[in-house]
Amino acid sequence: MAKILVVAEVKGTEIKKPTLELLSHAKSLNIDTEAVLIGDGVSEQAGILAGYGARKVYLADDSSLGLYNTASSTALVLDAVKQSEASQVWLSASELGRDLTPRVAARLGVGALTDLTKLEVDGDEITAYRPSMSTKVIQKCGFAKEGIRVLCIRAGAFDAADAEPATADVVNLSLPEQDIRALVKEIVTESTGEVDLQEAEIVVSVGRGVKGPEGVDFVRPLAQVLGAAYGSSRAVCDAGWAPHTAQVGQTGKVVAPDVYFAIGISGAIQHLAGMSGSKLIIAINKDPDAPIFKVADYGIVGDLFKVVPILIEEFKKIKEA
Amino acid sequence: MNIIVLIKQVIDVELNLRIKDGALVEDGLNYVISSWDETAIEAALQLVETVGAGEVTLITIGPERASDALRKGLAMGADKAVHVLDSAFDGSDSFAYARGLAKLLETREYDLILAGKQAQDTDAGLTPSMLAEFLGLPQVTNIVKVDQAEEGKMVLHRKGDHGNEVIELTLPAVVSVNDSLNEPRLASLRGIMQAKKKPMETMDLAAIGGDASLVGESGRQTKIISLLEPEARQAGKKFEGSEEETSKQVIDLLLNEAKIFA
Ligand SMILES: Cc1cc2nc3c(=O)[nH]c(=O)nc-3n(C[C@H](O)[C@H](O)[C@H](O)COP(=O)(O)OP(=O)(O)OC[C@H]3O[C@@H](n4cnc5c(N)ncnc54)[C@H](O)[C@@H]3O)c2cc1C
Ligand SMILES: Nc1ncnc2c1ncn2[C@@H]1O[C@H](COP(=O)(O)O)[C@@H](O)[C@H]1O
Repeated sequence: MAKILVVAEVKGTEIKKPTLELLSHAKSLNIDTEAVLIGDGVSEQAGILAGYGARKVYLADDSSLGLYNTASSTALVLDAVKQSEASQVWLSASELGRDLTPRVAARLGVGALTDLTKLEVDGDEITAYRPSMSTKVIQKCGFAKEGIRVLCIRAGAFDAADAEPATADVVNLSLPEQDIRALVKEIVTESTGEVDLQEAEIVVSVGRGVKGPEGVDFVRPLAQVLGAAYGSSRAVCDAGWAPHTAQVGQTGKVVAPDVYFAIGISGAIQHLAGMSGSKLIIAINKDPDAPIFKVADYGIVGDLFKVVPILIEEFKKIKEA
Repeated sequence: MNIIVLIKQVIDVELNLRIKDGALVEDGLNYVISSWDETAIEAALQLVETVGAGEVTLITIGPERASDALRKGLAMGADKAVHVLDSAFDGSDSFAYARGLAKLLETREYDLILAGKQAQDTDAGLTPSMLAEFLGLPQVTNIVKVDQAEEGKMVLHRKGDHGNEVIELTLPAVVSVNDSLNEPRLASLRGIMQAKKKPMETMDLAAIGGDASLVGESGRQTKIISLLEPEARQAGKKFEGSEEETSKQVIDLLLNEAKIFA
C-alpha cells in the first residue's frame, strides 16, 4: 500500500502554505498520509497538519532546530520514513526542500524528481511533469527502479483545501547527534516582515524600469494596498535596490500567485521561469515589444511612474468601498 | 586550498529549442559550460587567490565534446582537468552521475568540491548533495557569498527561504553556487594559449574503478518519458493610450472579468 510522508515546513512557528497544499492533495488522492514536523516551538502546529489530513505527525521540537540544518533534518526525516514505512516522501520546492531532497533521497539510496508542477499518482506509480532547460522544455518523467519515491513539488501545483478539525497523533522523534561540520549561525534577514512571496495570493514585482532604489519605494505602496508580496527581477537585486530574497525567477523564487504584476520588467526567459505559473499576469512596460507582453493577460503600455500612482488610487477606492 | 570543480557541458538553452516526437531536435544545438558551473570555476579561482595557495581541478563526466568545456575552464585559469569519458555513462540521471563522481573522488585528496546549484539542462539540483552523501561530506547548497575562507574552514552565506543563512563550514565539503555569487571572468587570449598545454587526464569507467551496473541507463533511478513543449501562455489584451485610460481599462477587467476582488 502506498503511504505518503509530507515534510512540513514552518516560518517561525507557523506552517507554510505549500505544506498545506501537499497535504490537501495527498488527502484528495485517498492515500494514507503522515507528516514530519521539525522546528523550535512548533508542537502546537501538529494539530494543523492533522486537520489537513496527516494521520500521524512525527515531531522534533527543540531549541537546536530553530534554524534549518541539512544534517539534522536528513536524519530526522529518515527516522520518520523508517517509522512510518512510507513509500513516498513529498517535499516543497522551497530553498529548504531543494537542499534537503537530494540528501534524503541519496541516503535512502534512490533518485528524486524535483521542481514538479504536475503529478499523476497511481499508488506508487508516479508520472511527473517538470520544467527544464530554462522552462523551454517540460519533462514528463518517472522512476526507473523500485524504491521509495522522493518528490519535490512546487508551490502552487496544488490548491490547499479547507482544514477539518482533528487532533494529531504525535510521535516524538529522538534528536540526532549534531553534525558540527556545517552549522547555521544566524539568518541575516534581508526581508522586512512583508508578505512572503511564496505565501502570497498577489505578487507585485519590479524590474530595472523603476530606475533605482527610489523607484522600488515608489511602487511599494501598490503592494501594500493590495496586501501583496513585493518581488523583483534579478537585475534589481543585483543592483542592490532590493534584497536577494525578493528575486523571482529561475535562480530566485518560483511563485504561482493568483495575480502577478510585472512592473518595468522586460520578461527575460529566466524571469518568466519563476512566474509563468501565475493565474493572471499583468504587465506594465513602456516598450510595446517587451517580451513580458507575450505572457501577460492584461498589459499596459506606458510609463510606470504614471500608471502606478493611478492604480494605487483606484485600488484604495475599491478597498474602501 | 585544493579545489575540485564539477562542470557539466549542457545544451545552450539560450538558443531556440525544438521538440519533435517527444525528444529534442538535435539539429542546430550548441553545447556550453552550464552557466552556474562557470560561477563555480570563478569562485574556485578567487578562493585560491584569496588563500594564496592551492590548485583548481576541473572534473566532468561527459561525451567527447565535453573536453571543450574543460578547455574553456582551463583557459579561465584552472590548473588541470579530468575527463571521465565512457559510453557506459550515457543516459545517466543525477543519481548515476553522482555515483560515478563519488567513485572517482573517493581516492582523491581535496579541500573543497564546488559545483553549480543546478545544471542548465536538467535544472535538477541533485548531483552535488547526492555526491556529498555518497562521500559522507557536509554540504552547503546555493551560496551567494563567501564571507571567510582559510585552510580547513569557511564562512558562507546560503540563500535560504527567509534570508541569507550564515554557515560555518569545516572542510572538506561540497558546496554549490548560485549564479549571483560572482561574474565569471572571460578567458584571455593568453589563457586560451596556456590552456592547450595544461594537463587533461581522460579516464574510462574501469580507470575510475566504476561499476557499469551503477551508472548510465542501468544505474539511473529516474527516467524521462518524453519531452513536451511548455503550454504557451496566450498573450492577452494589451492597452495603449493615455495612462489614465489604460489603467482604468485594466482595473475594470480585474473587477469584472477576472473578478479578483470578488
Ligand atoms: C543563468 C541565469 C539566471 C538568471 N536568473 C534570473 C532570475 O532568477 N530572475 C530574473 O529576473 N532574471 C534572471 N536572470 C537575468 C535575466 O536574463 C534578465 O537579465 C533580467 O531578468 C532582466 O531584469 P529586468 O527585466 O528588470 O531588466 P531589463 O531587461 O533591463 O528590463 C527593464 C524593462 O523596464 C522597461 N522600462 C524602463 N523604463 C520604464 C518606465 N518608465 N515605465 C515602464 N517600463 C519601463 C523597459 O522597457 C524594459 O523592458 C538570469 C540570467 C542568467 C544568465
Ligand atoms: N556529468 C557531470 N559531470 C560533472 N559534474 C556534473 C555532472 N552532472 C552534474 N554535475 C554537477 O552538478 C551540478 C548540478 O547538476 P544537476 O543535478 O544535474 O542539476 C552541475 O552544475 C555540476 O556542477
